[in-house]
Amino acid sequence: MPEGVSESTAGRWRRRLLDLLGRNLSVVVLVLLCLISSAATWREQNPITSRSGAAVARQVLVACQAPCSVLVVARDTEADRVFVQAIEEGLDAAGARIAGRVFGQPRDVRLELERIAGTGGSFDAIATHRIASEWGPVRTAGKPVFAPGSYYWPTFLTARNLLNVVNQNADIAIIALGMTLVILTAGIDLSVGSLLALAGVIAAVTAQEWFGGAAASPAGLLAAMLLGVAAAALGGLLSGTMVTAFRVPPFVATLGLMMLARGLALILAVGHQRRLVGGGAEGTPEAVRVDAAVFAWLGNGAVLGVPNPILLMLVLFVAAHLLMTRTMFGRYVYAVGGNVEAARLSGVPVTAVLLAVYCLCGAFAGLAGIVDASRFEGGRPNAGELYELQVIAAVVVGGASLAGGRGRIAGTLIGAMIIAVIQNGLNIAGVASYEQKVVFGALILAAVLLDRLQPKIASRRARMTRASTSTPVQ
Amino acid sequence: MVKRLLVAIVATIVLAALGACGGAETGAGEGQGAVAARGTIGFSAMTLKNPFFKIIADTMTAEAERHGFDVVVTDAERDVNRQSQQVDNFLASGVAAIVLNPVDRIAIGPAVRRANEAGVPVFTSDLQAVAEGVEIAGHVGTDNYQGGLLAGEAMIEALGEAGGEVLVLHFKQANSCVLRVDGFRHAIGEYNRDRTEGRIEIVAELEGGGLRDEGYRAMADGIQAYPDLAGVFAINDPSALGARTALEQAGRADQVRIVGFDGELAGKQAIRDGKIYADPIQYPDRMGVTTVRNIVSYLDGEDFERVHLIPTALYRQADAEQDPALD
Repeated sequence: MPEGVSESTAGRWRRRLLDLLGRNLSVVVLVLLCLISSAATWREQNPITSRSGAAVARQVLVACQAPCSVLVVARDTEADRVFVQAIEEGLDAAGARIAGRVFGQPRDVRLELERIAGTGGSFDAIATHRIASEWGPVRTAGKPVFAPGSYYWPTFLTARNLLNVVNQNADIAIIALGMTLVILTAGIDLSVGSLLALAGVIAAVTAQEWFGGAAASPAGLLAAMLLGVAAAALGGLLSGTMVTAFRVPPFVATLGLMMLARGLALILAVGHQRRLVGGGAEGTPEAVRVDAAVFAWLGNGAVLGVPNPILLMLVLFVAAHLLMTRTMFGRYVYAVGGNVEAARLSGVPVTAVLLAVYCLCGAFAGLAGIVDASRFEGGRPNAGELYELQVIAAVVVGGASLAGGRGRIAGTLIGAMIIAVIQNGLNIAGVASYEQKVVFGALILAAVLLDRLQPKIASRRARMTRASTSTPVQ
Repeated sequence: MVKRLLVAIVATIVLAALGACGGAETGAGEGQGAVAARGTIGFSAMTLKNPFFKIIADTMTAEAERHGFDVVVTDAERDVNRQSQQVDNFLASGVAAIVLNPVDRIAIGPAVRRANEAGVPVFTSDLQAVAEGVEIAGHVGTDNYQGGLLAGEAMIEALGEAGGEVLVLHFKQANSCVLRVDGFRHAIGEYNRDRTEGRIEIVAELEGGGLRDEGYRAMADGIQAYPDLAGVFAINDPSALGARTALEQAGRADQVRIVGFDGELAGKQAIRDGKIYADPIQYPDRMGVTTVRNIVSYLDGEDFERVHLIPTALYRQADAEQDPALD
């Protein structure tokens, strides 16, 4: 191979690119997955907006001779109302007549058509959107139907879907933050799914029975939620104690807590249902309903169009990131995970750090439980089943090492999003659920394997660099 | 060498995964191109691990194709969180209608409300949703209480004049099963009313999860706790079959009669072989077909029965012997 200036420049660029890829592999995977999901969901989009409404009005006016009489058909939703308002404004301005207006179901269209026919009225055209243009009564009305043109765009890349993706997985991401701390100390926490359920049920039961049910004040509801989180944190403290004071392997300690907390959640929920029906018959393990409407705000509300669970996730992410990068505690956690003995000898309070880490992990799971309970307007004793595995997958895909000491909070967030995008992309692309499991498993394996190759690629590159500097060419 | 091998493995997995992804996608595309003139129906099934719901899904898909719709089938895996996410995904991808087997009749409420707000009609099949303030366009299900009564009759018939202790393998999370057990208890209560001897006593309700493995484990425990059992009522066939396995292992299969529910193929075979005494049978195929016809009626603006309950019928060994579906 001839040596030359251009060759070495190309080599440098290649090395830089590889470096960049290697350091941000999970980001690259995430971007790739988004691209694949976009390609797989390239679909016809049917806009229902004020702009498309105005366009329909123009279409009608071009095709229909004045004085034109139009039946407007739409569903009973907010977007539909905006759309219809734009149509009517457009038609009014040109002096067209509105023969009738339907906000509702196909059946309402039929009734309206019957009404118009019954009163001896008539109309020249139907203005509507693509969805309603498929309705039976609209198609068989025997009049020209006008609907906005559609365009092609990936369903994956719509604002509604992207918010969906993140919102749906905000709870997983929140728990994954706590799990990252535990995994950094070379531990594991299998109890998070059960603690999530326990926190949700405790919040719901106390909101109903102690803080006034339907009449509960926001402060009372907050207290109920904090009780739920506190219970989960206490659970974390318990497994932390088992791990530190009694040297029980984290896997076993948290496995025990996982069953214990799930059982407690079920007992509390069933007990509450029994009290609801007045004793006697055994209750059912259904969701414990919270009657106060405000309770649902955290899980279903939104600020500036961004769902609250996403905002909570971002706030916790920033807090966890700062905790791990800017504080002594963060450095202690890495030290404990890197080498416990070395950390102990250099004065790190290992026991306190471990206790705090498990307690925090429990609290994060509890917070996710509150989000879940709020989202479903009640505490579900069956919530969070198998979450521990999804969460651990998110942390590992995000680049943390199960051996401890290596991993970043930002990586975990990306890992959680990778898993979210895989699930959502497969769902929207219409991949059947049995096949989804296979693809999902394979992609997780691939992502983790790629990540595991990183240090090897790096060391190989280093060796090659050394080799190329010491010896000329093979 | 090892590294190259690893890289090759990773590349293969990624390619295979992408291939599976792409393959499925083109499959869906073809389906849409051929028939889906009228749109897509999104179906979130309770659990596709139970053949009952698979039959609903398959008959829905076939019937929908006949009417120019295609069906996207998703598996909620008995998790209402997953089911809610599937509803949101259906809404994001713009389906014409949504069909659910509600996993939790109350907690599914917020998701149904979001569909209501988006103007997408929600139909339920098999299980009903009872959350407040939600609008369900139509429901097709089994008359589960009537089925429970029939199960009680079957149990009375199976035990004869001797009566005895009976165990219930429940799945309380599903309201349909609660109704079945209510019906069963009512039938047994009526039978016991003016009787001092040969009474049938329901000694316990155990959680069988509606699944074969969970039913097996619950029954194995039940045998230990109640050594004098004479009968078991399992709220569906998978848990009835799980119970049968446990009884066989304990050597008690001859002494304990099983009444199941559903009448799925494996259940019918077990009835033919005398392993299950009888089943009130449901008609998931009719459920799937009627649900799709309701959706078509809805979109065509026609009237239809908003709550349609299909009665069950008792299916015994004599029926199984003449059943052409079993060979």
